[in-house]
Amino acid sequence: MKYAIPLALPLILVMAGPVQASERTLTVYTYDSFVSEWGPGPGIEAAFEERCGDCDLRFVALDGGVDILQRLRLEGEGTGADLVLGLDMNLMAEARALDLLAPHEVDTAPLALPIDWADDTFLPYDWGHFAFVYDSEQISEPPGSFRELLDAPDDLQLILQDPRTSVTGQGLLLWIKHVYGDEAPAVWAALNERVLTVTNSWSQAYFSLFMNGEAPMVLSYATSPAYHMAVEETDRYQAAEFEEGHYLQVETAAMMAHTEQPDLARDFLAFMLTPDFQRHIPLGNVMNPAIDLGDELPEVFDRLIQPQSLTFTPEEVRENRRAWIREWLNASVR
Amino acid sequence: MRSRWATLSRWPVSLGIAALTAVAGLGLGSLGALLWQARGLHPAMLWQEPWLAAVLRFTLWQATLSTLLAVGLAVPVALALARRPHFPGRGLLLRAMELSLVLPTLIGLFGLVAVHGRRGWAAPLWEWLVGAESGYLYGLSGIVLAHVFYNLPLSARLMLQALETAPSAHWRLASQLGLTRSTLWRTLEWPRVKPLLPRLAALVFTLCFTSFAIVMTLGGGPRSSTLEVALYQALKFDHDLALAALLALTQLVICLSLWLLALSRGGAPSLVVGRVALPGGRWHRRDALGISRLTDAVWLTALAALLLPPLLAVVLAGLTGLPALPRSASLWPAALRSLIMALGAGVGALSLAVALLVGSRWLRARQHAWAALLMEGGGQLILVIPALVLGTGLFLLLRPTLGSGWQGYALVVLVNAFMALPFAMQVVRGALPGLSAPEARLADQFGIRGWARLRWLVWPRLRRPLALALAYAMTLSLGDFSVIALFGSPSAPTLPMLLYQQLGGYRWQGAAATALVLLVLVALVFVLLGWLTRHPPRYPWTRYAREERHARMS
Repeated sequence: MKYAIPLALPLILVMAGPVQASERTLTVYTYDSFVSEWGPGPGIEAAFEERCGDCDLRFVALDGGVDILQRLRLEGEGTGADLVLGLDMNLMAEARALDLLAPHEVDTAPLALPIDWADDTFLPYDWGHFAFVYDSEQISEPPGSFRELLDAPDDLQLILQDPRTSVTGQGLLLWIKHVYGDEAPAVWAALNERVLTVTNSWSQAYFSLFMNGEAPMVLSYATSPAYHMAVEETDRYQAAEFEEGHYLQVETAAMMAHTEQPDLARDFLAFMLTPDFQRHIPLGNVMNPAIDLGDELPEVFDRLIQPQSLTFTPEEVRENRRAWIREWLNASVR
Repeated sequence: MRSRWATLSRWPVSLGIAALTAVAGLGLGSLGALLWQARGLHPAMLWQEPWLAAVLRFTLWQATLSTLLAVGLAVPVALALARRPHFPGRGLLLRAMELSLVLPTLIGLFGLVAVHGRRGWAAPLWEWLVGAESGYLYGLSGIVLAHVFYNLPLSARLMLQALETAPSAHWRLASQLGLTRSTLWRTLEWPRVKPLLPRLAALVFTLCFTSFAIVMTLGGGPRSSTLEVALYQALKFDHDLALAALLALTQLVICLSLWLLALSRGGAPSLVVGRVALPGGRWHRRDALGISRLTDAVWLTALAALLLPPLLAVVLAGLTGLPALPRSASLWPAALRSLIMALGAGVGALSLAVALLVGSRWLRARQHAWAALLMEGGGQLILVIPALVLGTGLFLLLRPTLGSGWQGYALVVLVNAFMALPFAMQVVRGALPGLSAPEARLADQFGIRGWARLRWLVWPRLRRPLALALAYAMTLSLGDFSVIALFGSPSAPTLPMLLYQQLGGYRWQGAAATALVLLVLVALVFVLLGWLTRHPPRYPWTRYAREERHARMS
């Protein structure tokens, strides 16, 4: 037994990672790709800690936006979070209903979103459109609208994601509902002729299938080509612009009402709309920055499609999501 | 002396009960936490939702088909492997068989798609043979293919291990009598394989029943999905704890009843265990000649064709990512972290497996058949509770007291140990009697008891199966992502977590390299444990003598 402590100590150190003692700690719940080694998290953490002097910014990474919401629900008022970062517009209504969040009190003038923003609780930090990304080596002329996609030749196949398990899948559900309204089931039925498969997650669709060349088109983000162009230096993968417009995703942060660090949390939210935070977004998170970055915006972002934005209000999404998913399911299982 | 021995011998059952309590407490506790938080349970939902019934039907159908094919085809493969103990690449093939089980689904699918996809390596061959574009990867055929890829190697590996435990005296006799193919099958092989089948089939069925990503991705659309999709939606998007608990209960009832059926069918394994780990092929086998050379070659080639190309695709993709490796600061700490956790989970699973098996054997020996069954069946509980339910339930139970940080990791180790338990039990079970009844009587007469008996008589027989079980349990934990996602911490990811983070950030190359490192680690664990517990010849000269004799015979 006398070896237990020397053996256990490095074990605990390895498990717990670096621990720093600090005066004020701000705990932020977010999703994992945000805080990974190459994501925007590390740069943002360093910049914020330098700005505030004596504070410690601690990210807790969960699986995705839905998991952040679920964690808040489970923890309730006893939550360990001071701030949550990563809830998109479609989760806002449900998060608001938990009654755990406080107004941000930040001046939203710097925001440069494709839509007007008036929410006093959720503050956007980036945005992007859902889009179909295609392989230009397989398709020379991508469809320019849903109509053209539905009428395309048989070899144009799509990889989609399930709206029950993935955010992008849910994005397409809302997109089609917004464009077609009551005709959505017929469109789903027609679209199914084009579908190679429906995966459970974006990673599965993009990595296991699309990058293997299984289908020429995949449901993803309009900003995805920016990564390929900037980091992999290839123009092969591009997003198809649809004339009906694209459904918009806005990612937001909000502070908890019960935080012990309300000032620090507000500082962070204000910091979010500064170039020191935003410069990490374009290539770190592969999304559009929420403010005008000017010259700091990587050049490849000018070459992305600039579609018209479609949105439902968060409340509409909350009320109808279940019914719409059922509608999709019935149209697809037939 | 006698009375002390009597009290000592009650140990097995108390160990078993303790292990069972832990498993049942964890599994049922998490389910109970969900039910307790849920407001009102409406079992009628199960039949009022028409799509749910369809999902259930489809899940049962694909799992049955996959199990039949995976386990059925594993029999001739295992026989061929046992009949051919020496051929170039046999060791490599065995290692590859061990790899496929623990491949994270995302990586396994990547490999399968690279080979069998519409633009995969096999596509030109298929077009040449069939004349149509290859589309067999999507739909029921793809699901079954993936399930066979994952489960046939495991089944064949376990059958091979059972075949190799046949006493060498039997093989000597078979060789001297010159037994033919069918006689060998009736007298030696079938009696070894048969007791394994019900449990193996139940294990494979459970794995196919619950495999969520494979069924969705290869199924081609929402027509083919599993119960877990509905559960995922209920728990994550709708926060409908009641429906989630209901779905989990449905899965639990179906899978556990199957397990109980399988366990009651299995019967006790044969009591005679001779000298273990002497491959049967050391003895001349009449059936190893003639036409069987051809059929064995066909089976083994088929196995290699099923197994190796997808693994090769993963390795090749990983090699292109290798240049990025040294720059990835989090990779090596992640690998170390994963290994430490895997070791903890592996040892835990092994101890639990031995406790449960010893306990159930004690009960069976005293005619408490149902209690024994329950104890053994309890070990499978965690496998049939969806990880999502387990994680959420544990979270509800433990959250206020159990913080994040290393406690979270400890919890993951614990859960992984329970998840690996069915596999560990599967491997250890066949070897557990340790001593045959005559041997035990002989040992009793000589007064070899307690520690000495364990060390010199039981341990040498258990060593190799225990190592194999430990390797399986460790590598399962190495590849696990399901629970860690709920409790892990971002600054200190494990290898599978790192992999998913890399994919979320478009780092295909880095992810491929991480997958390769994971594969290499898994292979290392098997090689190392196999090597540590190999059977060294007690006297160097006996080895040469035996080989010489073998050479003369064949």
